[in-house]
Formats: sequence, structure tokens, C-alpha cells
Amino acid sequence: MNIKLRNNTFKQLLWIGMAGISMFFAGLTSAVIVRSAERGWDTFVLPEYFWCSTVVIIFSSILLVLSKRKVKRGVSPTPYIFSTLILGLFFAYFQFKGWGQLILEGRYFVGPGSNPASSFLYVLTFAHLIHVLGGIISLIVVTIKSSQKKYTKEDHLGIELISIYWHFLDVLWVYLFIFLLFSLK
Amino acid sequence: MSDHHNETFISKYIFSLDHKMIAKQFLITGMFMGVVGMLMSILFRLQLSNPGESFAILEWFLGDKWAPGGVLDPNMYLALVTMHGTILIFWVLTAGLTGTFANFLIPLQIGARDMASGFINMLSYWFFFAATVVLLISLFVETGPASAGWTIYPPLSALPQAIPGSGLGQDLWLISMTLFIVSSLLGGLNYIVTILNLRTKGMSMSRLPLTMWALLIVAILGVLSFPVLLSASLLLIFDRSFGTSFYLSDIVIGGEALHHTGGSPILFEHLFWFLGHPEVYIILLPALGIVSEIISVNSRKPIFGYKAMVISLIAIAFLSFIVWGHHMFITGMDPFLGSVFTFTTLLIAIPSAVKVFNYLATLWRASIRFTPAMLFAIGFVSTFITGGLTGLILGDSALDINVHDTYFVVGHFHIVMGLSAIYGMFAGVYHWFPKMYGRMMNKKLGYFHFWVTFISAYGVFFPMHFLGLAGLPRRYYTNSAFPMFDGLSDINEIITFFAILGGVVQLLFIFNFFYSIFKGTKATENPWRSNTLEWTTPIERIHGNWPGKIPSVHRWAYDYSKPGSDKDFIPQTEPLKEGETEH
Amino acid sequence: MTNLLIILIAFLVIATLVQILRVGELLSEVRNLDVNKVTEKDNKTQSFLMGSVGILFLVSCVWQYFSWEHLMLPAASSEHGVTIDKLMAFTMILIIVVFFILHIILFYFLYKYRKGDHNDVAYYYPHNNKLELIWTIAPTIVLTVVILYGLSVWDQITNADTSKSQVIEVYGKQFDWMARYPGEDETLGSYNYKLVQGLNALGVDMQDEASLDDKLTRELHLVVDEPVLLKLRSQDIIHSAFLPHFRVQMNCVPGMSTQFAFTPTKTTSEMKEQEGDSFEYVLLCNKICGAAHYNMQMKVVVETQEEYDNWLSQKNTLSEKLITKK
Ligand code: HEM
Ligand SMILES: [Cu+2]
Ligand SMILES: [Cu+2]
Repeated sequence: MNIKLRNNTFKQLLWIGMAGISMFFAGLTSAVIVRSAERGWDTFVLPEYFWCSTVVIIFSSILLVLSKRKVKRGVSPTPYIFSTLILGLFFAYFQFKGWGQLILEGRYFVGPGSNPASSFLYVLTFAHLIHVLGGIISLIVVTIKSSQKKYTKEDHLGIELISIYWHFLDVLWVYLFIFLLFSLK
Repeated sequence: MSDHHNETFISKYIFSLDHKMIAKQFLITGMFMGVVGMLMSILFRLQLSNPGESFAILEWFLGDKWAPGGVLDPNMYLALVTMHGTILIFWVLTAGLTGTFANFLIPLQIGARDMASGFINMLSYWFFFAATVVLLISLFVETGPASAGWTIYPPLSALPQAIPGSGLGQDLWLISMTLFIVSSLLGGLNYIVTILNLRTKGMSMSRLPLTMWALLIVAILGVLSFPVLLSASLLLIFDRSFGTSFYLSDIVIGGEALHHTGGSPILFEHLFWFLGHPEVYIILLPALGIVSEIISVNSRKPIFGYKAMVISLIAIAFLSFIVWGHHMFITGMDPFLGSVFTFTTLLIAIPSAVKVFNYLATLWRASIRFTPAMLFAIGFVSTFITGGLTGLILGDSALDINVHDTYFVVGHFHIVMGLSAIYGMFAGVYHWFPKMYGRMMNKKLGYFHFWVTFISAYGVFFPMHFLGLAGLPRRYYTNSAFPMFDGLSDINEIITFFAILGGVVQLLFIFNFFYSIFKGTKATENPWRSNTLEWTTPIERIHGNWPGKIPSVHRWAYDYSKPGSDKDFIPQTEPLKEGETEH
Repeated sequence: MTNLLIILIAFLVIATLVQILRVGELLSEVRNLDVNKVTEKDNKTQSFLMGSVGILFLVSCVWQYFSWEHLMLPAASSEHGVTIDKLMAFTMILIIVVFFILHIILFYFLYKYRKGDHNDVAYYYPHNNKLELIWTIAPTIVLTVVILYGLSVWDQITNADTSKSQVIEVYGKQFDWMARYPGEDETLGSYNYKLVQGLNALGVDMQDEASLDDKLTRELHLVVDEPVLLKLRSQDIIHSAFLPHFRVQMNCVPGMSTQFAFTPTKTTSEMKEQEGDSFEYVLLCNKICGAAHYNMQMKVVVETQEEYDNWLSQKNTLSEKLITKK
């Protein structure tokens, strides 16, 4: 297989995989829509930490755009990728903080203090974080490979793939965030 | 990739990356599960035709606990029905059928050395294998396997108090299904990418054989619908194991009021059928593809209306996403919504009708060669007609009120989906066996297998429509509890007789299969005189498929009996003659 | 011992089969023939079989119809049921006709166009756009009729006027049914699942005035020619109230209340005259609900107003049942 074909193949694999992931979240969010139309649906404000994570993940995406530019110009992208990784970790951190805040407010996943609204909130954010975890692991791999100068101007599939996937996670989070803002209102 | 010299047993037969080997792994696992599933149906059919009678065979298989004194226990009856449905739908006709033919045919028919990613492909099989193991283990847990029906509607599937099978058995079912979904997603990804990217020179989309079109569309359907089932099961798992209330509300069971409030079981049904209906087509479409191919080859005639065939495949696939509500007409859904689903559902009849007419037109003035594969393909056309027509009744919301969940449904879906897909699978195995193993399957046994199967399958499922019209509900352990069903025992006996006959004759197929792997007569390179690319590969099946360069393609796959040619078939690799038009 | 014997016999059968096949194949090798090649004789036999088994199949369908027709549900005993029956008859006739036509064509082609001396070359005929258009449009027209007809019936059924209907609650639980009649005040009292206990099997809220005169029964009695509105609930898991003779079915879902409106038109005694003395209307469960799902039933009686009043007046009200017992 030549490089171009290989790159295309892997990108397509990723795209189609992401289509599958989207359907997974589409299933969950349409469940929220159906459920929130019925009685006994709690409303509350999202923890501030979720705003932080939103900002962080958007920034991390921008950094990845930059790193792709660098590598295309033949400059080492390692610092950019590494900082994306750090921001990714921060994102995860803020998610945990957000859950902590919810628990302080008495909104549990299950049990007497829970409501389908809060249960759904946990499920959606948790499912997203699992996917972020995959992204973080790939970012670690790409950072290491990048520091070993494995990526060239012409051939940097790893960076391209993680960019696509990470932007996807970004968009997905923004979608979930806005969606939750409205459906918990 | 090509250094197949230093292969060990493990890398060749177990953790193989070669698509042909993976296909065989899927096929043999699927066949094994098929036997298990069919055996289950025979066991519970014995109870239905002779309720309360003692059968040594029941006690032998199920033991004292589930068949005390040889009489089937009602809980075990439901467990067997559930596992039978699960196994046949997912294990045999999803993984067994698509897994086999997608893996085997895609690289061969589009002219590729292997799948886009052999590794993902291998993972796909091993996830499937793990799912199989977990499912089989669940048959042996103390409280019995999952028993809430293959549709696992909560609350029944969520509450062990309601039925013992909803304890550990249901947990294992869900775990197994999760592994299964991962497997089919990995597989689907690979099929799509391979077909889109790795086609050989000249193999444009409009020259793809119909099998490839069908498998491509099936893979897309799978990737878009299985994740939704995953999200539905995830919420169910939370409800079962952590006490959330996504699907549960206001329940009193075993004298105890549960804490769950605010959930909705109907939500599960929506999510489930959003997968569940496309799943039906995931099962059917590969068979449609295979059958189109086989009918054309053995009629020595191009498939009639290739373009219409492709468009109707796409239309069926598209529509299958917007019809799921026809399983829920009587759940108290908004009547207007019910009308919408009736409308979309009945629309599916149009592309399906086009397909049937095109098959008939292909057979018109053909020169039909009756190979065993062709017989099964014909059987498919017949069951597709019969089952498709009864769909008009079930899809009509007003009529569904009285036949929903009766044996009419059981008859309908077994014929249109179960039999059609099984026939497609048999046809495919008989047809491509020479390519898979380099030997021929025995023809006479094949004929015998077909005729007994064809007769007994209709013998089992056609009478079920009458049971349904008599009002008999499905998933009944016995119908002797209602005087109004007393007259139905004759029909039940006929059904069980044919079920056993049909079951036994499958053993002959399995025998033929394994016998022919080792002892069958040697096949030639292109025994059916077929056009598609797989028949240009050498008989000794090698890694990379073609020894030299991959051949390029110059025409569509259906130039049979084309005027102006001296043979009755022109392989896709043959360039167009001067002045020859493509079709 | 018998097991051993069975296994032994199975082995013998398989071994014999292998030998027979081997002999056949070896013989043909000697004669330089390929046993697994489809010969002209095969085509002849198989296409003959296709034609004859095909006819047999169609005949057997007719036979099944005539020998089992008497087992089918009798004509509907409700107003909307009659329209469903008409729609059913229309659709059935349509699909039966199509079923026969298509199968006859299929089997005829298979019989006629086998490969053989008179028919060695197929006719190259890849497509015909006009023909394909016709057979896309024809089913579309037929389906439009089916859809419109079907939806008009569905519309009538689901939008029935319920303002004058007698409301009755039907309540399902593992594994039986109960009915609740609203009593004099013609309103059903409210309920809460947490109140389900002992005699108060439906969790009726006795603080609610309307509940006091409600009546619980184990049979469902209906007045002939009077519209009823069934309100359906479930205690534990999904059940489905299925009254096949009235063409009525609706799921009972825990946490939800569903409903179905209809008007019975034939009394039980009329049906006994028509169908024989053992006839009874029933309500059965049609959604898998556990071990005794197959036996979850309630007797249904359709009777005249007097008979009905008489029956109902003998039942205790909830307040008599629950409060005096205490
Ligand atoms: C030997 C052949 C077969 C026989 C005798 C048979 C018979 C039956 C019967 C009697 C039922 C139970 C009906 C009920 O109580 O609800 C059933 C259920 C079912 N069968 Fe089969 N069947 C056979 C083959 C197949 C095939 C090929 C499929 C593949 C699609 C299949 C899929 C199912 C499904 C999905 C169910 C529903 C299970 C459920 O209710 O959860 N069966 N079968
Ligand atoms: Cu469906
Ligand atoms: Cu029930």
C-alpha cells in the first residue's frame, strides 16, 4: 500500500468509527429528550467546572491545529502536542471536579438523592470521558513518537488521526454541554 | 504480508490475519451455534405439541432441575426461546452470515490482497468468540440463562424477582452482547473501508457485484445502529446493577414496592427497535446480495435491472431506520406517530417488490442450471415473497392490533428473515465452498438437503399463520390453558413433526460440509463458470490471493450469454472487444 | 447403556454414508466423470421437482386454509372490530392473489427454462427501464390504497369518541388480572403504587372520595352495545391486555396508564349459540411476563344492562371491603 492510500484508509476507518460513536451518543441524547418531556424531570444549573472543561478542550483543539501546521512546515510539533495532552488531562480533572460539585449539591447518580436528570448527566459525561481517555492514551503515544522524530513533513499520519479524533471529542463535548444546558433548564 | 512460509499452526489457524481463514472461523462458529439454537427449538417444540408429556431427551439435555421427570419447566421454556432467538438472530445470521461472506468475498471480489486491516479483522473474530463463550457459559448458571425474550424488554429483564433468568443469566447476556457489538462494529468498519478504498483498477462502484453492494450497505447499517443498542444496554445495565431508574417506575413486585420512579420502559423499546429493525435487514441484505449473484450465474443471464437492484438495496436500508415504531403500535404510542410508522413501513414493500420482479425477470428465458446453491437461492425468492406479503398485514397499524405478538408474527419473521437468510447462507456455502476449501460439496446430498429443508421449513412456519389468526399468543409455554385453543393441537403436532425432520436433515448438511473439506472431489479453478474476480484466483488458497499482479477489471460482473461471444460467460478481467458496449 | 448404543449407531450411520459417497465418487473417477458436475439429467429432475413440488406447495396452502378455517377467530364482536375484519379481508385477498400469481410464475419459469438441449443459451436481457418503472409504480399505487384504507381505519379506532364511554380499569400483575369499576360517582379514585398492599391490590388511594365506591372484580363484565373505555395499568412488568374476539389489544406498562375504547356488540349468550356452549370471551396476556404468562387470563362477559347491573350490585365497594375489614 502506498502512503496516500494507507493514510486515506486509516482516516476513513476513523471517520466511520466516529459515526458509530455519534450514533451511540445520539441514542443517549434522544433518550434524554424523550425522558425530559415526562413528569418528574429535575432541573438545575450545571457545575461551573464544566464551563472550565469546555474552555480547556477548545483550547486544546486549537493547539492541535497549530501542531499540524508545524509538522507540515517541518518544525517539531512536540511541544504543542504535549501541551494538548496536558490540557486533555486538565479536562479530565475538571470533569471529576464537576462531579464532585454535583455530589456536594446532593445530586447523585443513583439512590434517594438522584433523579433521572442527574443519572443521565453522569452517564453522558462519563461516556464522553471514556472516549477522552482513549484520546489521551493516543496523545501520549503520539507525543512519544513525535519526540523521537518519527513524523516527517510528508508522513505524519499519527498526528492527523489524533487531530481528527480530538476535534471530534471537542465538538462532541460542546454539543453535549449545550444539550445539557438546555435539557436541564 | 506475503511471507507465508514461516507460519506456525497458531498464526495460520488461530490468530490468523488472513481474511479467508477468519471467514472460515466465523462460518464454523456460526454453524456450531446454529446447531445449538436449532436443538433448542426442537426441545421447546416438543413441549408445545405434547404439553406436559415426559420426554427422556429433555431430561437428558436439561437435567432434573429444568425438566423434572422429563417435563419442561416453564421458566426453562422461556429461557430456551430467548436463547434460541438470540443465537439465531445474532450469532448465526448476523455474525455467521455477514462475518463469513464479508470476510471471504470482499477482498476476493473487489480485487484486494486482504482487508484494510487484518488486525482489526482478527480482533473482530476474537471478540465474537469471547461473546460466544460468555453466552454459552450463561446456559449453565444456576438460575438459568436470560429468559425475557430476545428483545429483553425491561422491567422483566431488569428484575430477577420477576423471572429467575433475569439474574446472573441476563448479566451474562448483556456482557456477551456488548462483546458482540464491539465485534460487529470492528468488522463493519473494516468492510466499509475495504470496499471504498481497495478496489482494483477498473472496479468502479457501478461494476461492483451485487454481493459487494449488499455487504457495504449492511456494514453501514451495522455501524449506525449497533451503537444505539449499546447505549440501550448500558442504561439497562445501570438500572439492573446500580439501581438507577432509566426504565423502571412504580413497580410492586414480590410484595415489595421498589424505589424506582420516573423511568419509562417504552424508552427502552424505542432504543431497542432503533437497532432491532435495521438488524432485520442486516440479516436479510447479505442474503439478497448472495442470492442475486447465484441466480445470475446459474441462469447464465445478467441479473435483471442491476441499477434498480442497487437503488432498491439503498432504499430498503434507508427506510429501515425510520420504521422501528411498527413494533410498538400497541404500546399506547401517539396514534399519529403510529400512522407515520405505518406509512414508512409499507413503503418498504416497494423496493422489495422491485427486487422480486427483477428476480423473476432474470429467470425469464434463462438457461437455468440447478446446482444446490441455485436451489437454495430459489428457495430464498419463494420465502421472500411469502414472508414479505404477510408484512403488509403486520405493518398496518389497524391490523396489527389483533395479530401483534401472536404466532402470525412468528410465522412471518421466520419466513421472511429466518428462512430467507438461512437459505442465502446455505446457497453461499454451496456456491463458494470450492473457493474456500478447493473441493466440491457432494451434489446429491445437497439436492436432498434442499428438498427436505424446503418442505419441512414451510411445514413448520406456514401453519403458524393459522395459529396466529386463531389468536394464539407467542411465548406461551403451552396453549392448553385456554379452551379456545384446544382445537389447535393438530397444527402443533404437524409443526413439531416438520421441525424435527428439518432439524435432522441439517445434520446431513454438516456431514456433507466436513466430509467434503477432507474427502470431496477436487474443484477446478472456476467450477461454475462465473465472471467475478474470486474465480481467477488459484485453487491453492494463498495469502494475498493472487500470486502475481492483481488483475484489473474491464466490465461488470454480469456478462452471461452476451451475444457476440463464443462462451456463455465473460470474466470481469476480459477487456471489452472493439465496438462492444458495456451493457 | 442406551446412550452408548445411540452414539454407536450414529457412528455407524456416518461411516456408512462416508463409504457410500466415497464409492460413488471413486466409481465416477474411474469412468472419468465428475460426480459433482450438474448434468443435463440433474437439470431435468430438479426442474421437474421444482414444478411439481411448487404445485404441491400451493395446493397444500389451499388445503391448510380449508381444513383450519373453522379454527380461526369468529367474526368480530365489536363495532370497530368489524372494520378491522373488513380491512383484513381486503388485505388478505390482495396478498393471497399476489402470493399465488408470483409463485406460479416462479415455478413455471423454473420448470420451463432449465438448461437443456432446447434451451442452451439464455437470452441476454440486462434491463428494461420502462418495465422497471411499471413495476415500481404498480406496487406504489396498490400500496397507496392499502395505506390510505389502513390509516382511515386506524384513525377511527384511535380517535373514538369516549365522552359517553363507561370507564373501567384493567390491572395486570404476575399472573392475573383485576378490573375496577368506578361505582355510582362514575369516577375512578386516584392511586399510588406505594399503597399496594393486601386487599388493596391496585394501590387505590382511599383518602380520595372518588375511591370509596369503586369496585374490584376478577371478571370483566361489559354491557352489549354500550361503549367502554378500558384504562390499563400494570403492577410489576409489562403485560398486554388482549381480547382477540373484540380485536382489542393494548400494553399495560408500569408507571404509565394506557387506554383502549371499543363497543362490544354480541353478548356471551349470543356467541354461545353461534359457537357452541363452551364458548367464553377471554382477556389474555400477550406480552412475555414470566413463568405463568401462558395462563394469565380473565373471563370476560358481555351481557344486557339488567344482567350487568345485577352482577355489579352484588359486588362490594372498596370502602366496604377495605374499611370494614379493618
Ligand atoms: C428449526 C427451525 C426453527 C424452529 C422450529 C423455530 C421455532 C420457533 C418457535 C416455536 C419460536 C417460539 C415462539 C414463541 O413461543 O414465541 C421461535 C422463536 C424465535 N425464533 Fe425460531 N425457529 C426455527 C428457526 C429460526 C431461525 C432460522 C431464526 C432466525 C431468524 C429464528 C429466530 C427466532 C426468533 C428471533 C424467535 C423469537 C424469540 C423470542 O421470542 O424472544 N428461528 N422459533
Ligand atoms: Cu421491524
Ligand atoms: Cu402478563
